[in-house]
Amino acid sequence: MSEARLRDRREVIREEPAMHASIVRALAEGPLTIPQIAAAIGEPPNEVLLWVMGMRRYRQVVEVPDADDEGFFLYALVQEEE
Amino acid sequence: MKYDALVVGGGIAGMESSLKLADMGYHVLLVEREASVGGRMILLSKVFPTLDCASCISGPKMSSTVNHPNITNLTYSEVEGIERREDGTFRATVRQKAKFVDWAACTGCQDCEVACTVAVPDQFNYDLVPRRAAYIAFPQAVPKKAVIERAGTSPCTDTCPAGIKAHGYVSLIRSGKYEEAFQLVLDATPLVGTLGRACYAPCEDECTRGDLEGTLPIRRLKRFVADRHYDQFAGPGLEVAAPTGYRVAVVGSGPAGLTAAFQLARRGHGVTIFEEAPEPGGFLRYALPEYRLPRDVVAHDIANVTALGVTIVTNTRVEDLAVLKDQGFDAVLIAAGTQRAIRLGVAGEHLSGVMSGLDFLRAVRQGTPPDLSGRRVVVVGGGNVAMDAARTARRLGARETTVAYRRSRDQMPAHHVEAVDAEREGVAFQLLVAPVEVLGDDRGAVSALRCTVMRLGDADASGRRRPEPTSREITLDCDVVIAALGLVPETDAFEGQVDRDAGGELGVDPTTLQSRVPYVFAAGDVVSGASDITRAVGQGRRAAHMIDRWLHGEPLDGFAALDDRVAVVDKTTVLARQQSFTHRESVAVANVFSSAPHDFSEVERPLSESDALAGASRCLDCGVCSECQECVTACPADAIHLDAHDEVVTVDVDTVVVSTGYRLFAADHKPEYGYGVYANVITATQMDRLLAPTRPYNTVLRPSDGKVPERIAYVSCTGSRDTTVDNPLCSKICCMYSIKQNQLIMGALPLADVTTHYMDMRAAGKRYDEFYEQAKAMGANYVKGRVAAIAEKEDGNLILTYEDIENGGVLTDTEYDLVVLAVGVQPNRDAEHLFVNDVLRLDEFHYVDEVAPDLNPGETAIPGVFVAGASSGAKDIVDSILHAGAAVAQAAAHLERSRTGVTREEVMS
Ligand SMILES: Cc1cc2nc3c(=O)[nH]c(=O)nc-3n(C[C@H](O)[C@H](O)[C@H](O)COP(=O)(O)OP(=O)(O)OC[C@H]3O[C@@H](n4cnc5c(N)ncnc54)[C@H](O)[C@@H]3O)c2cc1C
Ligand code: SF4
Ligand code: SF4
Repeated sequence: MSEARLRDRREVIREEPAMHASIVRALAEGPLTIPQIAAAIGEPPNEVLLWVMGMRRYRQVVEVPDADDEGFFLYALVQEEE
Repeated sequence: MKYDALVVGGGIAGMESSLKLADMGYHVLLVEREASVGGRMILLSKVFPTLDCASCISGPKMSSTVNHPNITNLTYSEVEGIERREDGTFRATVRQKAKFVDWAACTGCQDCEVACTVAVPDQFNYDLVPRRAAYIAFPQAVPKKAVIERAGTSPCTDTCPAGIKAHGYVSLIRSGKYEEAFQLVLDATPLVGTLGRACYAPCEDECTRGDLEGTLPIRRLKRFVADRHYDQFAGPGLEVAAPTGYRVAVVGSGPAGLTAAFQLARRGHGVTIFEEAPEPGGFLRYALPEYRLPRDVVAHDIANVTALGVTIVTNTRVEDLAVLKDQGFDAVLIAAGTQRAIRLGVAGEHLSGVMSGLDFLRAVRQGTPPDLSGRRVVVVGGGNVAMDAARTARRLGARETTVAYRRSRDQMPAHHVEAVDAEREGVAFQLLVAPVEVLGDDRGAVSALRCTVMRLGDADASGRRRPEPTSREITLDCDVVIAALGLVPETDAFEGQVDRDAGGELGVDPTTLQSRVPYVFAAGDVVSGASDITRAVGQGRRAAHMIDRWLHGEPLDGFAALDDRVAVVDKTTVLARQQSFTHRESVAVANVFSSAPHDFSEVERPLSESDALAGASRCLDCGVCSECQECVTACPADAIHLDAHDEVVTVDVDTVVVSTGYRLFAADHKPEYGYGVYANVITATQMDRLLAPTRPYNTVLRPSDGKVPERIAYVSCTGSRDTTVDNPLCSKICCMYSIKQNQLIMGALPLADVTTHYMDMRAAGKRYDEFYEQAKAMGANYVKGRVAAIAEKEDGNLILTYEDIENGGVLTDTEYDLVVLAVGVQPNRDAEHLFVNDVLRLDEFHYVDEVAPDLNPGETAIPGVFVAGASSGAKDIVDSILHAGAAVAQAAAHLERSRTGVTREEVMS
């Protein structure tokens, strides 16, 4: 059984702007799921979810319409409008 | 202001009360704490048992409330106190919190949110997702207008004497907006590179992170953006206003003069700086040593000023101010600094080898240093100039360098770091000695310094223990004595033209910096005495602002950058926002010191980009909004004004309706359920958001990894009917909202299994039991028995241990991938503090007490005060609306009785 405490949510959320650059780098090659982004940037998936959902809210990433067989959605960068 | 009724709280009960009273013709003031009316209902997915969309039925009520001609809405406001008066009416004080956004101009476009650099948990999504410091409450907000959350000025920004928005540039750097960070500092002063190196960084002393592992490297972050800018861009990238036709002369090109000239030029004035020395920069050029402040950095900073069209005339000493006036200058700023060194005042001062610290440093920077190689140097004084002189002497090859100071080490006025660095470079300290004579040899050259040994006596006016002479003396053998005892202005030439005090400081109004000659202003050390760069910059900014106003014939006030800041946020409040802090090591100072330094190359190493990011990411966002100005720039309607302040209004009303609603049970008070410890344990309010059309994620996802959950458990009665958390009451709504969510989940995630662990299923009332049966028919499972514990597996799944009552009461373990706690409701005890001279009585469960709940629902213990909705006990939406109707009927009756002067008893008789 796991004993790990979650980090304070306010602290995790505060770091979102600082995480944008590495998440954008991870997604530059194509869409990824939350666990895949987490592996790419070396951060815990529960925290990556908060950051990606913040970026989704402010229109920097968007989900690919259907989840994969494992039940994970892929997230992609929103292309800047010309 | 006078209203018939005050309604406190703009949830469904408050809106209903306001609308009904307003429809009856009464004038209502509705006060709501958040930036939109709507309360908790508007945040729901759908409502039971009809499954109507909550926004669809709540939205029209919200707009009617906001648009009703008889309702005045004060959103984002708080009632500070209600006083009941002798005549039975009320006087209420309401604080309208500063929104920092002009709502008349705001179009609700969200551009400010997208631009904002500060992320905080979104309370309207129960912390499931970040929002920004600039935010619109939620997509269906009414009014749909932005506000900016400012808890106060951040300590770093508040303490900067130059008014530089330290928190702002830190948050810009964290967001990778390096050039914007440079521009934010540049907005205050052209000396970005200089301050990134030579500022003593009072912000770092105040940084709240200093109460944890250590301050942010706030100053070095500024250097980081300055270095980047100067590497990448040729000029400051600023536009200046159209020429005003006014001309301003600035006397002196130090930090005060350069900053003032820069700010005046931006405003379109023609500025000429007159500088006595051959090169501009004042002490930056001629005193601060090269190893702390390289000359190319000063040159880049000065180029920011000349790029705006400022002319700098060097080798020109100004003595007669009237001449400047005659030359056509409309205003004059004296920023001449402190050019005179305080003398040793002891015998032997004339000997060869005695010099002032300022002359010494100036000579070095002019390329004519004295030959110190192999010589023994004593520097007298304990300030920063003494440290600079001593470290410079080491670089010139002095064999021994000793700082002689008359007090103790911890009383030295030099910045702590400067003294430590001096020591690392081989400077010795001789403390508690005061010079009495410089001894010379037969050629008239220094041979030693004779000193009295001091001891510390009682505290003086400054609180420091006063040094007192003893009868003992020592002699320090040396070849050179450098006197660094302090600097004073050299303003003899201005005698009779402007006011001067005995020390030479110019007399000006401290707020306007205007002298008794209206067109003459003065700023910087020439006014304040020797200080530091940031103070001089702050004064330069102030002077420019005041001169600009004076030239335009405007009153000399309104210097918001320093005089009108929002009050500083309290550090204990900042630290109390979090339950825990991850240890984040301070960015190390990687400077390499030599005990025998031999050149003037810069000592401090720059921050790498990754260090800068890591350093900036430690910021706690003390004031919440960082004042980075990104929203101000982004807003197309020019609606954002960060210098707004709260406003307090007083209103008279005849009746009050309290509709402050309920609080949710804090799920972490049931530690056996693991909320806040296990990622996949969430509350039902969070689930309602995940199911709502305006949900925070693209669908229902489990928080540990973003997977769509397949096996979902509900734990009913979390925090209700539970004496272990001091709440024996049934919360009434949890069974029904769980059933509602069960149905919605099965609609949204057709493959998911949903199981509710319950004690009793309370589904009384029209269509409620049918709703329960419908859920069962759809496939939802209901297992009777309380959940005893929840444990987490490595993969984030959860094991629920519960008593399966319908199967013989066996203890059973079942695995789920998401657990939803059906949290109960609790009283909102804010209501208790609304009244200042009367007690709004609470019942034994701390809900607002109704004196006769069965006969006169809504009537409280204070005559003329009524309670509506969940403030008086757990209620669903329908009951809240009904209850509001009852309260309003009572309030209207009260209003009518008070108008006619007829009591209830008289009506009845
Ligand atoms: C050795 C030393 C190290 C320091 N280190 C630091 C540090 O690391 N950090 C910090 O914050 N502060 C430091 N300070 C203090 C800081 O330099 C001063 O507080 C700041 O420079 C004051 O700015 P100012 O514009 O008022 O004056 P100044 O910088 O002195 O500028 C005034 C200018 O006016 C010119 N001038 C004077 N009279 C006339 C006239 N009649 N006509 C024409 N021109 C005239 C002068 O030549 C000079 O160029 C240091 C000071 C010294 C001496
Ligand atoms: S000033 Fe900056 S931090 Fe503050 S609200 Fe605007 S964008 Fe956000
Ligand atoms: S934690 Fe951030 S906002 Fe707070 S004082 Fe330090 S740098 Fe400023």
